[in-house]
Amino acid sequence: MEWLHQLHRRLSFLFRRDRLDHDLDEEMQFHLEMQAEENQESGMPADEARYAARRRFGNARLIRETCRDFWNFPVLEFLWQDLRYSVRALAKVRAFSTIAVVSLALGIGANTALFSLMNIMLLRALPVKNAQRLVEFVRADGSSMMTNLPYSVFAYFRQDRAVLEDVFAVYGSDAVFRAGGAAPEKVYCHLVSGSFFPALGVNALIGRTVVPEDERPGAGSRVAVLSYGFWARRFGRDPSIIGAAARVDGELFTVVGVMPREFFGVDRSESPDLWAPFAVNTTPGDQAWVLGHLKAGVSVPQARTALDPLFRHALESLSSELQKWPQRDREAFLAQKLLVNRASNGTAGLRWTYWECSNTLKILMSLTGLVLLVACANLANLVMARSVARSREIGIRLAIGAGRWRLVRQLLTENLLLSLAGGALGLLVAGWGHRLMLGFLVHTVALDFRLDYRVLGFGLALSIVTALLFGLVPALHATCADPAAVIHAEPPQRGASNIPLAKALLVTQVGLSLVLLVGAGLFARSLRNLGAVDLGLARESLLLMNVHASGDRLQQRQQFWVRLTETMWGLPGVQGAALAGDAVFGNGGWNKTIWFPRAGRPAESAQIAYDPVGPGFFATVGIPVLLGREFGEQDRENGPKVAVINQSFARRFFGNESPIGKRVGDTVGQYEIVGLVGDAKYGTVREQNEPMIFQPVSQEPVSASYVLHVRTGSEPARLAPSIVRQIRTIDRECLITDIRTLPEVIRSQLLQDRMFATLAGFFAFLALALGCIGIYGVVAYRVAHRTAEVGVRMALGAQCADVLRLIMRETVMLLLCGVLIGTPLAIAATRLLKSLLFGLEPQDPVTITGATVTLIATGVLAGFLPARRATHIDPVAALRCE
Amino acid sequence: MHSLAMQSLAADVLPGTLQMLILQTLSRGPLHGYAIAQQIKLTSQDELQVEEGSLYPALQRILLKGWVTAEWVQAGPKRRARVYRLTPAGRKQLAEEVSAFTRVMQATFRVIQPV
Repeated sequence: MEWLHQLHRRLSFLFRRDRLDHDLDEEMQFHLEMQAEENQESGMPADEARYAARRRFGNARLIRETCRDFWNFPVLEFLWQDLRYSVRALAKVRAFSTIAVVSLALGIGANTALFSLMNIMLLRALPVKNAQRLVEFVRADGSSMMTNLPYSVFAYFRQDRAVLEDVFAVYGSDAVFRAGGAAPEKVYCHLVSGSFFPALGVNALIGRTVVPEDERPGAGSRVAVLSYGFWARRFGRDPSIIGAAARVDGELFTVVGVMPREFFGVDRSESPDLWAPFAVNTTPGDQAWVLGHLKAGVSVPQARTALDPLFRHALESLSSELQKWPQRDREAFLAQKLLVNRASNGTAGLRWTYWECSNTLKILMSLTGLVLLVACANLANLVMARSVARSREIGIRLAIGAGRWRLVRQLLTENLLLSLAGGALGLLVAGWGHRLMLGFLVHTVALDFRLDYRVLGFGLALSIVTALLFGLVPALHATCADPAAVIHAEPPQRGASNIPLAKALLVTQVGLSLVLLVGAGLFARSLRNLGAVDLGLARESLLLMNVHASGDRLQQRQQFWVRLTETMWGLPGVQGAALAGDAVFGNGGWNKTIWFPRAGRPAESAQIAYDPVGPGFFATVGIPVLLGREFGEQDRENGPKVAVINQSFARRFFGNESPIGKRVGDTVGQYEIVGLVGDAKYGTVREQNEPMIFQPVSQEPVSASYVLHVRTGSEPARLAPSIVRQIRTIDRECLITDIRTLPEVIRSQLLQDRMFATLAGFFAFLALALGCIGIYGVVAYRVAHRTAEVGVRMALGAQCADVLRLIMRETVMLLLCGVLIGTPLAIAATRLLKSLLFGLEPQDPVTITGATVTLIATGVLAGFLPARRATHIDPVAALRCE
Repeated sequence: MHSLAMQSLAADVLPGTLQMLILQTLSRGPLHGYAIAQQIKLTSQDELQVEEGSLYPALQRILLKGWVTAEWVQAGPKRRARVYRLTPAGRKQLAEEVSAFTRVMQATFRVIQPV
């Protein structure tokens, strides 16, 4: 406690400094007067008495200084001095300070942005009750883990009393939402068990949440709780919505509440529009994500052991449904294991997607880390060059008695100041940087962007570490010299001792830059490959939209689809229109088992991707028909069943024979192949062409929704509103969602590739620029240092070219050393990129050569500018300097 | 040079003991700085000479430690004097310093006394 009092007294002293000074003066004055009076009484003359008193008292000024030291915090005082000195010193070298702050801001900013991103996605605890005890249940077979469990698991886990405090189920699905007279809308709905909201301990903003009673059979109409975003978007924050009726997928719901804006549930990557209880007729085989709180003190392994028997029972309870499955699948299903994962930061979804199952964040981390290292190496070099220039100043300060540590501290303060300025600027960079990266990475995520104490702490820690990284060695180096030698000797002798270290730093910097350059080159080339790949269909001017018919009866729907297609063909500006079950660049079709009758042998079967498509589909999307015909009006519901296959299909199953007229079958019947179309990418740009089979929509059970493909003559997005209006004239109640053009779809698929290409390109450019600055600095310094030598050489008859060669030889050697170190480093590092590259290998020789040549060319240029100055040295002037 | 002249008259205070002397002097009652110096000289029968200037930094340190409090009192028509008063913590500190000092001095005497 005593130190606290003392601190308090010191602080109060700190703020009353003037008064303290004044008090002390008055007190000492009093003392002197008293002494003088006494002297006078003992017979001295007045002047003599005062003088004697002063002499006896000692040096008043020194005493005042000593007293002040007691009142102040000497450390703070020194720090303040150091800071003021640093600001003045740095302000004098603007170019240096600017380069340092900007390169640090980018380095620290990029790292902080990434950390902030990871903090949001992976580290920050869920804002729910007892998040630290929240667990998620996962099933695992030999190869993969799945979070979708049969609903029966939830039903069985509910019986547990030993390890679980509570357990709840959630499941997300799309639904059609209708309320009032407005057009229907697609919403994302989370079905939840009644225990969901109580377990999370969250309350509604207005109204109430779903409660356990809502799950009971006979509870009346189902209830729905809206998200804040949906409430605001759809109902303009109208509080009277509570109690209103709405239809979700046709069923009647009552809106009972609205959740607070910040509530998103347990998965940060999900942003549901509404929550509703599971339907009463939910079957044990339906899917659900199951989570719960462990009781206090229960460990994850304990919970797993205790729940495993219930999990077994839950799987076995599905036996009647499993009967339909093939034997092998059934056994695999029953052999699944239960896993229990901590979910205090949210469900594993994001973590799996962006950390465990993908290198994305790791690659970004390596990129940003490398940039910071390059910036540090560069700065260390600059700082060192600067401290060589200051060696006289430092020598003098050492000579007149400054302690070495005091000087190191002064130098470090300067670096820390730079680093903190860079860090502060870096936080700004991070502010938009992580939004930028997030925009590239995830799309429909409602994440909380605020920078929190963790991010700020990270930025600060990073700044300090950085300052030590680039500042400590040069500072130690600069102050270890013998002051006498510094002042007497010519500067070059002192600088010489710095050169090996400077060279090593430069070589490191060049090596790391090469790694970045190779990475950037790989990403750029991969992106170009992806953009240039032949899709097998015409990508421009193709408009896609999902249409959901409102009619319940099959006939109604069928009429709707026929009229829809006819209307589209008649629209001005439309060159073709067709329906398909799955969109091109959608899911890549669905799988089904196809049988091939073989003469005299049992039929073969295979899993094949298929898509039901309407008449004119291939002409509309631009897939060429190679043999036979495509679907037309003649392929009616009760006509002969037909199919169209692609080239890969024909090659795999029919070899060189013409497939036209051949027959294949599925579980429903047999089809005659009437057409052969070219291979086209159907799911992603990256995919290999796979066998595909197409069937006419007219010969399939009529679906409530199809994807409308429209080929337009002009810019497709401009035609979209009139197309939507036309569809609404046919069916006012139909739902139209996801209006997009094919180029947009492809662009969004390549977003991550573009992000890597952009970021890596930018970072590589930055590294290159920093490298140039470093080389320029070192060569310029060497030239200055060798002025006399060059002068002598030129006086003895050396030509400009000889001098240039002399200076440049060193630069080239440095660059080559850097490349020598960097190449294996790059090859080792880029192996991480393998899965992200398209159409080239990580060891792509063209890229590595290109990066090396770029690096050496830029480096030579950076070294050439100061080297040329050496050739202008006037031998006479140079020698006179000696 | 003036300190040379003084040394011939009286011994300087032993290093490190000034604080103890001040505290001891104050233990008899509150005094101002000049009076403390006079008192030490008087009590030591002019043997100990406080270098008067050094009194004030010592007083500041003691003040900071919380062993004394200070207040201004009127001392004449146009003059104020700062009077220092020992606190209970100061009294405790004094006792500790005196016992430590006595121990050291006794030990020192034992060593330097002729056998």
